[in-house]
Amino acid sequence: MPKLTIDGKTIEMPKGATILQAAQALGVYIPRYCYHPSLPVSGTCRMCVVEVEKTAKLQIACATEIADGMAVRTDTPAVKKARRDVLEYLLINHPVDCPICDQAGECFLQDYYMDHGLHKSRIAPGDKIRRSKRRAAGKYLTLDNERCILCTRCVRFCDEVTRTGELTVSGRNDASFIDMKEGKGVDNDYSLNIADICPVGAFTSRDFRFKARVWFLKKTGSICTGCAAGCNIEVHHNEGIVHRLMPAPNPETNTWLCDRGRMTYKVLRAGDRLSKARIKKGSMEPEPALRQAAHLIDDAAHRAGPESVAVLGSPYLSLEDNLAIAELASGSIKTGALCLDFSCEQGVKDGILINKDQTPNANGLKLLRARYGGLDQNALIGLINSGRIKLIVAEARALNSLREKLRDLSNIPTVILALAKSDLDFDSDCVLPYASYFETEGHFVNYKGRIQKTAAAVAAPEGVQPLWLVLSKISSYTGAPIKIEDTKAMSAKLSEYALGKSVIPAICKPGSIAAKSTRE
Amino acid sequence: MIEIKKVDNRPLNLLERLYIWEIFKGFLVTSGHFFRNLFNPKGLITVQYPEVKRPLEYAAKRRTRHRLKVRADGSPKCVACFLCATACPANCIHIEAAEYQANPVEKYPAVFDVDLARCVVCGMCVEACPEDAIAMDTEEIPGGALKREEMYLTREKLFRNLPGEPSLKGAANRLAQGGKGIGRG
Amino acid sequence: MEKFKPVISLLNLDLLLFTAITAVKIGFLLGAVMGFTAFLTWVERKLSSLMQDRVGPNRASIFGFTLLGLFHPIADGIKLMMKEDFVPARADKVLFTLAPVLTLVPVLAAFAVIPFGNYVDVMGLRVELVIARFPLGLLYALAVSGFAIYGTFLAGWSSKSNFALLGALRGAAQMISYEVVLGLTLIGLLMIYGTADLQQIVREQGKLLFGFIPAWGVVYQFPAFILFLAAAIAENKRTPFDVVEGESEIIGYFMEYSSMRFAVFMFAEFIEIILISMLAVTLFLGGWQVPFLEEAGFLFPGGLALPVHPYLTALAQMGAFAAKTAFMCWALMTLRWTVPRFRFDQVMKLAWQGILPLSLLNILITGLALTLI
Repeated sequence: MPKLTIDGKTIEMPKGATILQAAQALGVYIPRYCYHPSLPVSGTCRMCVVEVEKTAKLQIACATEIADGMAVRTDTPAVKKARRDVLEYLLINHPVDCPICDQAGECFLQDYYMDHGLHKSRIAPGDKIRRSKRRAAGKYLTLDNERCILCTRCVRFCDEVTRTGELTVSGRNDASFIDMKEGKGVDNDYSLNIADICPVGAFTSRDFRFKARVWFLKKTGSICTGCAAGCNIEVHHNEGIVHRLMPAPNPETNTWLCDRGRMTYKVLRAGDRLSKARIKKGSMEPEPALRQAAHLIDDAAHRAGPESVAVLGSPYLSLEDNLAIAELASGSIKTGALCLDFSCEQGVKDGILINKDQTPNANGLKLLRARYGGLDQNALIGLINSGRIKLIVAEARALNSLREKLRDLSNIPTVILALAKSDLDFDSDCVLPYASYFETEGHFVNYKGRIQKTAAAVAAPEGVQPLWLVLSKISSYTGAPIKIEDTKAMSAKLSEYALGKSVIPAICKPGSIAAKSTRE
Repeated sequence: MIEIKKVDNRPLNLLERLYIWEIFKGFLVTSGHFFRNLFNPKGLITVQYPEVKRPLEYAAKRRTRHRLKVRADGSPKCVACFLCATACPANCIHIEAAEYQANPVEKYPAVFDVDLARCVVCGMCVEACPEDAIAMDTEEIPGGALKREEMYLTREKLFRNLPGEPSLKGAANRLAQGGKGIGRG
Repeated sequence: MEKFKPVISLLNLDLLLFTAITAVKIGFLLGAVMGFTAFLTWVERKLSSLMQDRVGPNRASIFGFTLLGLFHPIADGIKLMMKEDFVPARADKVLFTLAPVLTLVPVLAAFAVIPFGNYVDVMGLRVELVIARFPLGLLYALAVSGFAIYGTFLAGWSSKSNFALLGALRGAAQMISYEVVLGLTLIGLLMIYGTADLQQIVREQGKLLFGFIPAWGVVYQFPAFILFLAAAIAENKRTPFDVVEGESEIIGYFMEYSSMRFAVFMFAEFIEIILISMLAVTLFLGGWQVPFLEEAGFLFPGGLALPVHPYLTALAQMGAFAAKTAFMCWALMTLRWTVPRFRFDQVMKLAWQGILPLSLLNILITGLALTLI
């Protein structure tokens, strides 16, 4: 393996590695625009120039392969001057409209200008070349050509990662600009990654547009619950409001994050979020509604026996919540009509990330099923359709997934646990809200069997509690408590019944090198 | 020049320890001030603010109630960049940004509130503003309201131009004038 | 008609007339004192501001007229009435309510024996210009004003607040100590005039010493005058004797009081200033006496005589009394803004080791002098 020195420090790297990779491994930061670890090298921006001994000119670190005995310096006056000049060149026609630019605060032009530039502009503002300002580029993106530095990260992303090729560089020389190919918008499933990898404010998110300034955002590492992939994410939030989700790259799960996953936070938005319980279509505080739910369960179990109560697990819920559901059925109500069978075909759908299984925790249910058993899906459907079931306790989306196969539900009372109003496309006399997985911790098992944990980034609405706590309270109101009153009891139960001695991998901490690399 | 005052710490003599004479001397001092001011009220140094305002030497640097400057077309100069809210040590500025559909400036503050009850009148917001949009030169002293709501200034209460404005300072001014692009790119 | 006879005989004319005249006198004096008290609250603020080179209250206005800030007492009154009438949860409600009353009533009652003029003849009836003239007037005044200690102590104790209790304890100790010395400072005066009837004491002071010096108490008993003032200010609990309030540490026995209850305490304090001033004037500064003005008119030494109508004489005497009282009030207030506060041990030391032996010495010397002359 070739051995080289960078700024006096020696390192051995496998053959074919570049100087930039070697420097990264040594912890020497080399500024760059066009280089991205997950994209092919193009070498257009010239920001990463370094001095290599015995070469006449400065070399670009991102595209120069290492060789044995190479001596690289990144801090000589020549390198510093080169960086300064490259930066000045890039900024010649930059509009400097940072006040209205969403990239401000995480913009590489701003950062590098403070680190390497600090020059006065030699171009009068009136003499700068104007280009077209904002225009929509697909469903989720805004394109501003004036801010673009033509690093072509976006073009390479569309060509090499999604292989949809919507973007191209039009024109030539100093008149070249990023453009969409004839008749195409950037409408692939991963378009918002372009906003992430764009080092400047040329591509910005339309969803996040003008919502918040990035320096206010707090970051919490968590798990995406959009599908069975279990992508690691960063929840960006401020003052209790989630503003956007960003990928937290993890070699085990994901580098990117799909657009659908990024929009999962929308469930928290005031209009759709269920923050009060609904009893007979009337809105009320969650706490008293629990007694109504307990009464419904008690009533059905009393009149037609406990077997007349069907309890459904849900692949959309965490292990904690499903465990509480299973406990409620077998420990409290003592019914056999418990269904934890929601498995479906899994596997990466498009070769990138998105899974065929749109539920995040079908594999988690398998863990619980090994312990609690329960009916399989068809048996339960048969039971319900036969009319022997007098009450269904279920999470809204899980019940929705069975709707096609079920008879009319209108004369079976239900206790529904729901997160969003849009999930309720049927009438129920008792709808209870619960804390989403942006508001409470929960374990999920992804399609590879990797167990991961979400984190509570923001606080749940007043009175809204985690689902397992809701069920725990209902069970104590029915007089047969499941005895899971706090997180300590929950985690004890969880490791006893489902996880065993499994090691839960830590989520990448926001700001760690791995988490940073989507943007870089 | 540092002056040194020598304190006389000798023990009190009998007359002083009786206090009566000393109290009478103090009495003469206070009543002396009393009668002097009673018969010559104009000699008092108190300024009857706000009826009487004494020109201040550094009046140009005086910070008073905020205002938001507006452009010639009546739209705010502010582009809701949040730098004032970032700089504000009292957390008294609340902004909600929104997007113009037609105006080339793109961004404007749909909500811009200044809570004068929290404001510490430090002027950092003015320093931070890249658009020359906020100023503290209305010559109105913040405070002295009968209701808390009166201390809460909304966008509309803040809009005001002084004579000679609008100026053309500010980063987004070029956009406001409708900068033309060259070609598509 | 027959059955009303006992009632009519009970309501004989003399009694009716006496009641009416007394009522008028009470009304007059009470009105004057209360009005002057409100005025004093303004005076105190204005006076302190002027001696500190400030302007003082000048904002309250009616239709734009501020009148030197004279509307401030009215504004203060309105404000105090609007305030929440707060009673601490664990306070003794009855005593808490009673305390301000017990502070105000004794102070007002003491005015009964203060002569504010000589006499007037109305329709052949001689009306003494004092509400109640009786031989032990001075003792009555001292005794009644001594009752004020109940108000002080009950206020502090019933509040169930440590600070209020601390203030009340200080107040009780201070008032009891100075009650004793206050009486002792006046013994010399009683020995000279030989009476405790205040009207008689004032009349005695109308005499002339060596034919031209008015024989006021202050001339005979100057040291006693100083001692009396010191003791009286201490009774009043104002600076320099305001450790009871201790504004920087404990805020005093009325700490838990608000609204008009607090106002009553404050009012009582100002009324007490007037009472002290009136007592000092009556005992030491010749009361209503105008120098050289006697029943017939001005009789100056050297034989110059100037006849004055009896009513004008009475008016002049009442005016003199008011002026002297006002002067004393001014002096007391100036003193309050001149002298810093004593420490509590100093207050006690002054009473027991200062004023008490000195007033005993004063009695001794006075007795010796009276025996020798």
